[in-house]
Amino acid sequence: MSAPTETHYGVLGIGPRATPEQVERAYRHAAGLYEADALATYSLLDTEEREQARERVEAAYGVLRDPARRHQYDVALGLVSEASPPALAAAPPPPPGTGRAPVVVLPDPVTGPDLKRFRESRGISLREIATASKVGIRYLEYIEAERKDVLPAPVYLRGFVQEYARVVGLDPRQTAESYVARVVSARQA
Amino acid sequence: MRRQIWSIGGGKGGIGKSLLAASLGWQLARLGKRVVLVDADLGGANLHTCLGVPGPSRTLGDFILRRVERIEDVVVDTPFPRLRLISGASDVLGAANINYQQKVRVLNKLRCLDVDIVLIDLGAGTSHNIIDFFLISDVSLLAVVPEPTSIENGYRFIKSALYRRLRNAAPNPAVREVIDAALDQKNTQGIRTPLDLLAAVEREDPAAVARLRRELGEFHPRFIVNQVRSPADIAVGHQLVTACARHLGVRASYAGYVHYDDAVWRAVRQRRLFAEKDPDSAPALETRQIARSLVEGETLALTW
Repeated sequence: MSAPTETHYGVLGIGPRATPEQVERAYRHAAGLYEADALATYSLLDTEEREQARERVEAAYGVLRDPARRHQYDVALGLVSEASPPALAAAPPPPPGTGRAPVVVLPDPVTGPDLKRFRESRGISLREIATASKVGIRYLEYIEAERKDVLPAPVYLRGFVQEYARVVGLDPRQTAESYVARVVSARQA
Repeated sequence: MRRQIWSIGGGKGGIGKSLLAASLGWQLARLGKRVVLVDADLGGANLHTCLGVPGPSRTLGDFILRRVERIEDVVVDTPFPRLRLISGASDVLGAANINYQQKVRVLNKLRCLDVDIVLIDLGAGTSHNIIDFFLISDVSLLAVVPEPTSIENGYRFIKSALYRRLRNAAPNPAVREVIDAALDQKNTQGIRTPLDLLAAVEREDPAAVARLRRELGEFHPRFIVNQVRSPADIAVGHQLVTACARHLGVRASYAGYVHYDDAVWRAVRQRRLFAEKDPDSAPALETRQIARSLVEGETLALTW
């Protein structure tokens, strides 16, 4: 069982520099884990244990989703000083290798179905990519479906795929170059 | 890449484990690896059928019963380059209950085969024979399907394998006794998880617990979720990894998932390897991705 002294960050499996989006995603994962009929825990925990775990997750989320409460909590943990602003959304991104999974390079050529499979494996929705990247969800669908008839010109497409890759944790440059090169050559064929 | 032994177990029968093994072996061979698939489902061998080859006349049973002296003599070719097969022992009465010396002999000889990867398809269940093959592997894969019975058996498999590993490492009879008690889920000491077990061992013999913690840290099963039908099914793999870490203290990882697809059973009906028959189907592409990721040491990690 998890230690009772575990921090809220530990309960959600994130680092103290996690962005609000990362808190949200980690919460959804943890909350799903302790639903009444969750496959991964129904045979592992009894009702009381599951309820306790769920309460810890909710308590952690209640604090970490609220910038003011999170700031107070960080001060109590000694992570920040009282005087520092609770501007979590403006916090610098975590350095590579801390708090994020490593960037992945998919084998060449990268296809739309490859991107879709990778995204699904990471549990990320198209809506989340659209929100984080400002690329319209319709274009994200076209990219995954390789709708060559409606995809934008390569110069825009490259940027869209780079943004997609950045959000899901793929190497943006390699992913975009491989994907766009394939689409362009298919259009010319 | 040095020679490696990989195994794929699952605890439960009928979850497509042999098909996964056959497809992974084929994909690894396509990636340039020299592979020998071993059907260790002693008593229920059918890996040859998954590969679409007739039942070989020489099997692992012939080696176990010393009808042939060298294990190389029971390795047969398949139609696929770089992929060879040691078929199971369904034709040998009693081979399903091989003794300890026979098992050690098989394991030692498999280690000496001149290949890149020996991929062992384990039978269903949690018998010592199955668990021991799983434990000696460099890559220990655990196949589950997103259904309660399979997940339950998957956890049982993990606990059985881990407790056997800890028991083998136990420095004295008193610690072994605690581990034996833990194997009974209704034990009176309240031991339900490996973390409970370590706490009980610490009370019994504080000096022994560091060694068992080390063993626990080196135990690293990798899940494959087979026959997924939805994003929620795919997410089960991530949830299993988190649940193992938080509630069992086990450092598992997610090797990948394979979609349910009618193309697979159509291929089986024709006694064809589905990945070869329909290489652009989702299950074929997904097993290719799993093979590639395992070779490169990658796993599906959640991106926060």
